[in-house]
Amino acid sequence: MSVESRKKALHYFFDKVVGPLGYKFTPDSDLMDFLLEQEVMLEQKHGIPFCPCQPLRHDRSRDMQIVCPCIPFHRKHFDAIRRCWCGLFVHKDVTDPDSLPQIPPWEVGLD
Amino acid sequence: MPAKDWTYVMDEAALPEGKMTPVYPSGVNVLMARVGGAVYALEGKCAHMGCPLFNGMLEGVILTCPCHDWRFNIRTGEFIDAPELRLKMYQTRTEDGKLFVSLGQMEGL
Amino acid sequence: MKKISMYTLSTCPWCRKTKKFFTEHNIPFDFIDYDLADEATQKRIMEELDANGANGFPFVRIDGEVIVGYNPERYARLMGLEGALVK
Repeated sequence: MSVESRKKALHYFFDKVVGPLGYKFTPDSDLMDFLLEQEVMLEQKHGIPFCPCQPLRHDRSRDMQIVCPCIPFHRKHFDAIRRCWCGLFVHKDVTDPDSLPQIPPWEVGLD
Repeated sequence: MPAKDWTYVMDEAALPEGKMTPVYPSGVNVLMARVGGAVYALEGKCAHMGCPLFNGMLEGVILTCPCHDWRFNIRTGEFIDAPELRLKMYQTRTEDGKLFVSLGQMEGL
Repeated sequence: MKKISMYTLSTCPWCRKTKKFFTEHNIPFDFIDYDLADEATQKRIMEELDANGANGFPFVRIDGEVIVGYNPERYARLMGLEGALVK
């Protein structure tokens, strides 16, 4: 499968997951395209589309919490910053993703 | 429910306690499981990326997908880490040692 | 001159933006791409991230101060670049 086809496939799968959680793909189409491409590359390397911006620890239980979309496992944090860490997904009401900085959990009062 | 909505899927004896088996009534991927004596019929593909769930792990009522470890409650179909996501559940019926599934989704789920 | 070091991922667009920020402001920095590092280096980096409660990349250290996540305003403030930001 080509990279472009796989990007479309991931988009199809993830769209169905993030909608019920209150999220959507970022309206920044260049960012979306870049992140999906990185995930396809990560999937080709590891067999799994991990988050391109979080570390693999080589510990299955923890690594499975950064498989895209990882929103369910970081819900409080992402709900507080209205985006996921890499920015592939934003809250449904977000129209200007550039206005949402990457803020670590402790800066929004979480552990 | 009209009789025509029920599709025979397997013999009851072929589904022992704590086990899962994939069946394909009308081509639909359905996962049969028996826990605590009760038989459950769920969507056979993971809500995450469509991985086949029959290869997953069943511990009590918790089914773990073999691909990325997403966990579901087989009694409700709910994804443990975000109940907004769920697997479809199907009604089951036993008659003369045979298991039937209705592909109409269960009400309230 | 303040010492800048950072841990990044080669796959992360925010890490790329972070490197670009310091490059465009002609500020030298050291970096290690975690995903391209050897196992021992990854272990050391992960210990440092955990010690600082960091969840992801980029992880930037400006002298003693740690900034997790792409935050150009904070980089500028710590570097005394207010008013001289390259947009």
